[in-house]
Amino acid sequence: MNMKSVSYILGWVLNIEAALMSLPLITSLIYNEGEGWAFAIVMAICALIGFLLTHKRPNNPNFRAREGFVATALSWIIMSFFGCLPFYFTGEIPRFIDALFETVSGFTTTGASILSDVESMSHCCMLWRCFTHWIGGMGVLVFLLAVLPMVGGTNMHLMKAESPGPVVGKLVPKVRYTARILYMLYVVLTILEFLLLMLGGMIPFEAICTAFGTAGTGGFGFRNDSFASFSGYIQWVVAIFMIIFGVNFNVYFLVFMKKFKQALRCEEMRWYLGIIAVASLLICANAYDAALTLEHNLRTSVFQVATIITTTGFATANFDVWPAFSRTLIVLLMFIGACAGSTGGGLKISRWVMSGKAMASYVGSFLHPRGVRKVRFEDKDVEDSTLHAIFVYFMGVFFIFTVSMLILALENMDLTSTFTAVAATFNNIGPGLNLVGPTCNFGFLSDLSKSVLIFDMLAGRLEVFPMLMLLYPPLWKEAYREHQRKQRRRDAMKR
Amino acid sequence: MQGKAAKNKKDTLNIVIVGCGKVGHTLTEHLIGEGHDITIVDVNDRVIRDTTEVFDVMGIRGNGASLSVLEEAGIDKADMIIAVTGSDELNLLCCTIAKKVGGDISAIARVRNPDYAEELVYLRQQLGLSMIINPELEAAKQIARILSRPEALTVSSFARGHAELLSFKIPSGNVLDGKSIMQLDGIFNFGYLVCAVDRAGKVSIPGGQFVLHAGDDITILANTRDGHRVFESLGMESRAVSSCMIIGGGKSSYYLGRQLLRQKMDVKIIEKDRLRCEELSALLPEAVVICGDGSDEALLKEEGIDSVESFVPLTGLDEENILLTLYAKKMPGLKTITKINRITFNDVIEGLDLGSVVYPKYITSETITAYVRAKQNTIGSNVETMYHLFDGQAEALEFHVEKDAPVVGVPLMNLKKKDNLLIACIGRKGKIIFPRGQDAIAAGDTVIVVTTHTGFNDISDILA
Repeated sequence: MNMKSVSYILGWVLNIEAALMSLPLITSLIYNEGEGWAFAIVMAICALIGFLLTHKRPNNPNFRAREGFVATALSWIIMSFFGCLPFYFTGEIPRFIDALFETVSGFTTTGASILSDVESMSHCCMLWRCFTHWIGGMGVLVFLLAVLPMVGGTNMHLMKAESPGPVVGKLVPKVRYTARILYMLYVVLTILEFLLLMLGGMIPFEAICTAFGTAGTGGFGFRNDSFASFSGYIQWVVAIFMIIFGVNFNVYFLVFMKKFKQALRCEEMRWYLGIIAVASLLICANAYDAALTLEHNLRTSVFQVATIITTTGFATANFDVWPAFSRTLIVLLMFIGACAGSTGGGLKISRWVMSGKAMASYVGSFLHPRGVRKVRFEDKDVEDSTLHAIFVYFMGVFFIFTVSMLILALENMDLTSTFTAVAATFNNIGPGLNLVGPTCNFGFLSDLSKSVLIFDMLAGRLEVFPMLMLLYPPLWKEAYREHQRKQRRRDAMKR
Repeated sequence: MQGKAAKNKKDTLNIVIVGCGKVGHTLTEHLIGEGHDITIVDVNDRVIRDTTEVFDVMGIRGNGASLSVLEEAGIDKADMIIAVTGSDELNLLCCTIAKKVGGDISAIARVRNPDYAEELVYLRQQLGLSMIINPELEAAKQIARILSRPEALTVSSFARGHAELLSFKIPSGNVLDGKSIMQLDGIFNFGYLVCAVDRAGKVSIPGGQFVLHAGDDITILANTRDGHRVFESLGMESRAVSSCMIIGGGKSSYYLGRQLLRQKMDVKIIEKDRLRCEELSALLPEAVVICGDGSDEALLKEEGIDSVESFVPLTGLDEENILLTLYAKKMPGLKTITKINRITFNDVIEGLDLGSVVYPKYITSETITAYVRAKQNTIGSNVETMYHLFDGQAEALEFHVEKDAPVVGVPLMNLKKKDNLLIACIGRKGKIIFPRGQDAIAAGDTVIVVTTHTGFNDISDILA
């Protein structure tokens, strides 16, 4: 294991985090809030450690897939650790595990909260809380790749480990420019939403927080009732932007390049929009509230479908009181997720479509035992290795899910709550049903359950394997042996 | 055309490489090192994955001659397409289609088949290609050049063959051992310049005080006419090789055989395959073609390895070539040249002390890199030729200087040049000038620069 390169990357992640914390610091100055000191201290700590880790470039360029995975997983862990310190230091979240849960929930764009009263939070902490969504949405390592020149294969391994989706492609030949384009699109879309929200009469602070939360498909609300008390216009804007941020960013790149035909041909986006349309109509019909207008009913169902499928987790209605069919549909949507290459979480549309097609072709093979039929997706043959990776991924999800549920069952909640608590965190959505429903929070859970859910959120955001790699004993055994062998060889050289 | 030309001023070119075999891979490595945006196209998914994991390039799977694949690879935005698949016809087709859709894109194709060898210029003009490269032919030419100066390890030619860059190892007890560069004027009584010295893997551009030792690899630039005198002056016997034994009967063997026969040498080719032997004897009637196993010691002896003057193993297997060379090196006075296609253990190969080694894949990528650099620049000069010296640690570049280049008319001693750089010689109207401080570069000159910097693409890059 090339720990020097890994710690170099970790150092840069801390440097960037220190830089990003200047935003809440400025906020504290604007609102003249005393809580700003916590950010200043944490910034100093991050910058110091970051400096120590990065002042010397590693001279060993050997950066393999394993280093990419480990660096990614560790980056997210230390980023969350330092990110939670301001909440803890200011006492806004008095318990460390709660602060960590809230921060991981922010970075992983989950939006599950342990706070029962968010409105009492200071502006700077609130902004940081929402800003973590924005940072985590596109990923801090992608940002790192955009600004820092890396050698050889380093960048691709990092990008692969952090970006969601079964196959990670590039927009342009160089990773660096791909990362820049992604961030540029991300920033432009965020600003667009911010402006549209301002037009709807939102105050700037709330518009910024909403835009951050939507862009990262996060879902932290800053009002206790999430979005229910906002106007219809604002709800529509948020709903549409949630859907926009759940689309594969390649599509926007194609639009940007004026290749509209190719952009419209994106198969994953078509499935995604189709599922949203069908699910919205079904829920609208099933949970129709005759006391409200048709527009209001439609808006509520579209908003809830969008918030769940893109794994954002805002709410304009308490879907927990809907009929069983709608609630079940919501739970199913949790597992579908957004498009690959978007800021959304979940299992991803492309995985479902590809595995569905693979299943159909397998069934077809009984009809024609010697028939040869390749699975095609986005007008291209799907490699068997890709399908294999998808099925293994599903197994990994299933495994983590089962173990997590078993541990959470110790809480002695009902099955729905237990199941949806794991589903909502693992898929980075936020609210579940019953005890963890849209109007409730995760604050009452035990420390053990919170730790498990923290792991689930990270595993969900990083698509299982980086986190599993971190817990894979042979990796560390081999790294240790490698270290020992090098030591022995160095000794032998001396003699 | 104008718009594109202005666009080319940018430092990074958008290059599509079709075919990612050994040449494609080496090319990707070099061009990525020069900072270009590379998209590779190959039918083999595995190859794409392996390459994209090592290099920061975009990979597209598919047939590079298909329009949709080329479009996906962004041919409309590309500045250059380089087709180096295994098939000549596919390469030409790729380039032809790319030219149709890509507008004034530069197209480079690799064409190796001897059937087309005579028609390359015609093909290039008719299809509107920028360049056709034939690595086997280039390798054969390089081998032939070395055979004409058997004391040299490598021979590179500049200024349309008017100047030669010779490198050789200083034998122990030679007059050069212990001499400083300044003292060499007493030994060579013609125009020359010591360009670079490789001492135990460390390459430097020597100043006047630099003292040479036995075992150094030294590179000297001289007028082609004077090439043999370099070795005569050093007391190294300069004998023209007049016979050559070639092992293996592939494309490069054919090209080499043809070249050497033209120089009136005795050529013997040993090839295993009977049919190929018959083809070769029809193509090269003056050569002696032997059907047999070139790695058979008894056969080599029978065919006179102890009397032949030069020995060139050109089989498809690098390991076999290396082994044959090591065997041949035991014969006193036998000049050997080894061709290495694939093997990448450069350190090991250097340690084996094989003597002259020729790498076709490097020849290809050097030629293309030189072309790419020439395309990059706009300010009044062009890279005409480029060679990597000492495993890429130094470069020798030949620039064609136009009248608006900033170096024109300024005496060399007044130019503020970078360190580790040498203006080795100036070619002016077919003459080679070894410049002194008062001399100035004129418009229309070709200037040869030797440097340990990399990435020069314009003569003005020599300025600090």
